[in-house]
Amino acid sequence: MAHPLLTVEDVTKTYDGFKAITKLNFYLFEGELRTVIGPNGAGKSTFFDLLTGRAHPDSGKIEYGTDPADSHDLTKMDEVAINRLGIGRKFQAPSVYVDHTVYENLVLSLRGSRGVFASLFLRLGSTETDRIDELLKLIRLDAKRDWKAGLLAHGEKQWLEIGMLLAQEPRVLLIDEPAAGMTDEETHRTGELLLSLAGKHSLVVVEHDMAFVRQIAQNGKVTVLHQGSVLCEGKFDDVQADPRVREVYLGRGKHGNR
Amino acid sequence: MTKPSSPMPAAPAPPSDTVAGIVFFGAFALLVMPMLDAFGTIDHFTLNLWGKYLCYALLALSVDMLWGGTGLLSLGQALFFTLGGYMHGMYLMRMIGDQGQYHKPIPDFLVFLGWTDLPSFWRPFEHFSFAMLMVFLLPGALAFVFGWLAFRSRIKGVYFSILTQALTYAGALIFFRNNTLMGGNNGFTDFKSELGFPLADPATQRGLFVVTAAVLLLTVIGLHWLRGTKFGLVQRAIRDGENRTLFSGYATPTFKLFLFVAAAMIAAIGGALYVPQVGIINPSDMTPDKSLEAIVWVAVGGRGTLAGPILGAVAVNLLKSYATRAFPDLWLILLGGLFLLVVLFLPGGLISLPDKLRPLWAKLRRSPAPTA
Amino acid sequence: MKAFFRTILLFACFSALGLRAETGREALAKAILEPSDAEKRARLMALAGTRDEAVIPLLELWKKDALFLAPGLDGKPVPVELVGPADADGKRAAQRVDSGRPLLDASGRPLSLSPKGLKSAEHNGALRRAMRTVSDLADLSSPDASKKLRAIAAVGQAQDAEKLPALLNRLEVEQDAAAVKALREAVALIRLGSPDRAVRLAAVRELDALQSLASTDFLAKARVKAEQEKDPGLVAAVRSAELSVGRHRSVVDGAGTLFRSLSLGSILLIVALGLAITFGQMGVINMAHGEMIAIGAYTTYVVQNLFASGLALSPFGFSLSLPGLHATGAAKDAYFLVALPMSFFVAAGAGLLLERTVIRFLYRRPLESLLATWGVSLLLQQGLRLTFGANNVQVGSPAFLSGNWLVADVLLGWNRVFVIAFAACIVLGVWLALTRTSLGLLIRCVTQNRAMAACMGVRTGRVNMLTFALGSGLAGLAGAFLSQIGNVGPSLGQSYIVDSFMVVVAGGVGNLVGTVISALGIGTFDQFTQQYAPAFANAFAGVPVVGGFLQNLAQDSAVFGKILVLCGIILFLQWRPSGLFAARSRSLD
Repeated sequence: MAHPLLTVEDVTKTYDGFKAITKLNFYLFEGELRTVIGPNGAGKSTFFDLLTGRAHPDSGKIEYGTDPADSHDLTKMDEVAINRLGIGRKFQAPSVYVDHTVYENLVLSLRGSRGVFASLFLRLGSTETDRIDELLKLIRLDAKRDWKAGLLAHGEKQWLEIGMLLAQEPRVLLIDEPAAGMTDEETHRTGELLLSLAGKHSLVVVEHDMAFVRQIAQNGKVTVLHQGSVLCEGKFDDVQADPRVREVYLGRGKHGNR
Repeated sequence: MTKPSSPMPAAPAPPSDTVAGIVFFGAFALLVMPMLDAFGTIDHFTLNLWGKYLCYALLALSVDMLWGGTGLLSLGQALFFTLGGYMHGMYLMRMIGDQGQYHKPIPDFLVFLGWTDLPSFWRPFEHFSFAMLMVFLLPGALAFVFGWLAFRSRIKGVYFSILTQALTYAGALIFFRNNTLMGGNNGFTDFKSELGFPLADPATQRGLFVVTAAVLLLTVIGLHWLRGTKFGLVQRAIRDGENRTLFSGYATPTFKLFLFVAAAMIAAIGGALYVPQVGIINPSDMTPDKSLEAIVWVAVGGRGTLAGPILGAVAVNLLKSYATRAFPDLWLILLGGLFLLVVLFLPGGLISLPDKLRPLWAKLRRSPAPTA
Repeated sequence: MKAFFRTILLFACFSALGLRAETGREALAKAILEPSDAEKRARLMALAGTRDEAVIPLLELWKKDALFLAPGLDGKPVPVELVGPADADGKRAAQRVDSGRPLLDASGRPLSLSPKGLKSAEHNGALRRAMRTVSDLADLSSPDASKKLRAIAAVGQAQDAEKLPALLNRLEVEQDAAAVKALREAVALIRLGSPDRAVRLAAVRELDALQSLASTDFLAKARVKAEQEKDPGLVAAVRSAELSVGRHRSVVDGAGTLFRSLSLGSILLIVALGLAITFGQMGVINMAHGEMIAIGAYTTYVVQNLFASGLALSPFGFSLSLPGLHATGAAKDAYFLVALPMSFFVAAGAGLLLERTVIRFLYRRPLESLLATWGVSLLLQQGLRLTFGANNVQVGSPAFLSGNWLVADVLLGWNRVFVIAFAACIVLGVWLALTRTSLGLLIRCVTQNRAMAACMGVRTGRVNMLTFALGSGLAGLAGAFLSQIGNVGPSLGQSYIVDSFMVVVAGGVGNLVGTVISALGIGTFDQFTQQYAPAFANAFAGVPVVGGFLQNLAQDSAVFGKILVLCGIILFLQWRPSGLFAARSRSLD
């Protein structure tokens, strides 16, 4: 079996005595699309925070890279360094640059040098402008390219943020609740987009919407987080049938249906 | 990138009125005012006063590129302004030579403190080029060290303001001491000449005015260019959501550091130009309140724009020149009240006034229509 | 010589046994009448250590030729002084030296005499020296403890061997521990000048044991002398004593610095507490905090004047005259008890007004609230200047604040003790208000989750208003307090505002403990860097530019301390970017 791209072992994170993540183990392989579900407070956001350097674990290891001899220890790195390694994140609440136009949002996210002087003298070549046009079409915002992002509808912002994520061309995409605030049709399209990305990219998707989860988890594994650690892991149907999952998650009847 | 490249189309195309404004202002400041002065249409005092306002405009621009452009409210700009002034002032003090009151080859205040020889750190300042270098280097280095520490530990918002306020306060404390050998609370004054030109000569003052206007114009053009680059995009991104910018892979501390140092240098050159035109520099210009006064100019003029800070610096100081003579007791109340009103009711400043008034005006024009 | 000592000893025995043969006045009168100079001097010296307080002023008069010999009824001269106003003939009432009663004529009426016709009591150099000794030694038994200690120390410092017996006598009867120690110290210092080596050695040992701080210079002199005399034993003893004294001195200095740190920290705490509340609980930086302090101080000033003779003000050109209560004595001193709550409520009221008219519109914009409050601070400052004048005004503080308290050689000023106690009371009060009252509960709940609190029916607007009023009121209390330790001026608050911001920044937001620790920490850091400024600067002497700059700066230790505090805080924030106690948040911005 190949070495995982992302290795998370025995990770614990405590906030003021509250254990947000306890002894978490998680492995993501190259090209995989992994769906993570779990009730509120299961530690999903904290998990992403730890992966992206927004928070640092109290103990445990987080490593990135398929070659064990040349992997990066993410526990010691900050957001910027981790992002530059090729790990992109979409936030739960859509976070786009509201005062920039849609176009500018993508320019900012476009893969390329992030240095001060590079950005002073950057000129966009046709490769870049073509890439942006392509992305605009993909996220169906080409008609609104000069709109300020703050004026977009909630769902459109979600799409823009996904577009920004894609513009970075990361190896790993961490996507937090992409379907929130979208219509059923939009949700479905989002699912298809994510499925099409799997293989080229590795994805971790956190989601509450079970219909959506069912859609995107058709080939991949589902991980259930509960109280900061993995409750179970497997195919969507197996997980759904697991009595423990039913008890802690579906049993509460809160997120089981839409 | 081998293909023919285009300038960033991302930035909004420069509104033609901005460019027109730059051209108009440049022509006015560089040619018209000095010519009016040379022909005697306006008196030397007025030109000199406007020269001072233009220096203040540089200070206001340095405040706004941090505050309006990046969301960093620095209360340290007066410190950098004054430091620049002191660096130039040291050269001007050396140029007095032995024409001081004690007729000694060292500045009067040193004689007064009992010095007979020049302290070693004063020596290189008899060279104009060294003094000019220090105008940039000292404030730049201070901004670099402070900014590096502050941005590294992600100090922002009011914390940044408070720390820069303390920095300015500390600077003032140091310069108020006589033992710092920088003139104590009297600072530097009684300058005689600059590069051999007597400062009392109106022609010299006219020259200084032209240099100031040119520097201001270059700064405005530079800042205008900066806004059009990707750097400008990142700068605004930091202002609107710094954490998001981090997750896009931009090391925001480096960007902010670059801006902070650049702003310090712009303020410093403003201060350096201020000294020979006003003829005095002392530590009371270094207080946090002076920084806040510059922020008032920006707020009144309109933050986040290029014309706003200049407009604000000139307008508020015109008002100040008038008010401190007409009703000196009430000036501070006027300033405080003006500021309060702008912050509360006109966040866009004077420059946003036309946009605010346009709908009102339209309404006024439309309302008589039905009756007609 | 022996005779005097014998007399003194005799006198001391009498006074110790309480068998006083005569009062000091009577003894003095006898001395004046004594024909023999030697006996005169002996009698005079016998007065040393007298408890009769009238003697010393009379000696002064004698020296100034203002004691006269009036002819008595029996023909013998009677020593008198002339008191009261002179009448048309220049005559003044005569008062007997021996009893202090008026001198009577044959018919029993008080006599008035003119100095012109009278012979003044004679004195010469030897007598005058004796008089000075008596007056010096008189204070040794003064009932005023601090006066007594000063006198003992002065005698010791003078190293006058002639006064040694008086000290020894006093040592035998002295009850007060501090005075006993001072006496032993003085005796040892005098004996240090003795020609007898054994006596000197004993004195050195005594000073060693006493860790006498006053002896530093004397020990150094004694060491030089011993070295000249090539007396290694004595030199070693002196060295040991010097070491012991030096150690004690550094302990005392350290303790003194610590105490000053504590009091400076308390001042910082008092001025920063209100700010910490408004910033910590509401996220508002109140630049007008300094003016709230000034308002509190001026309120104290007004209350004080209302208790006294009233106050005439001319706010903005109008004239306003407030009548006073003309209270005196304890009632006048009680003004502070009224001023404290008044300054709290006046400042709180001003804060309430500020919150309602300005701040509530700016809650989501912390930078704008900082700027707007600066505008307000300009308005208030100028308003105060136009009302009370640009010059500082004086607020009287209770007399006891100027006293001192000496504990193990460490001088504790009462004003500093007052500072610390005041700070402790205020912190306790705020803590109680936040944890034990319903307002405190509401404040804490709004701080933690504003939206949720609003949903639960908490009127967050009202809570904000009251929180801000509380913060401003505390600033007012700080002002009342600062008026007691310094002058009151329109820019009073300005001198503290930067420091109090530093306290809040270093302490972190929303935590009273953080503010307390930060204030005390900054106070301590400041005082210790001031105390050890030169040493600190020398440590960096090797660094180019910075080293020379620091050494230059160290000449003014106060500035040096402040600069290093700022550097310290910036470095501290590298380690803890949100201060000591940080409120964590999970939202992105």
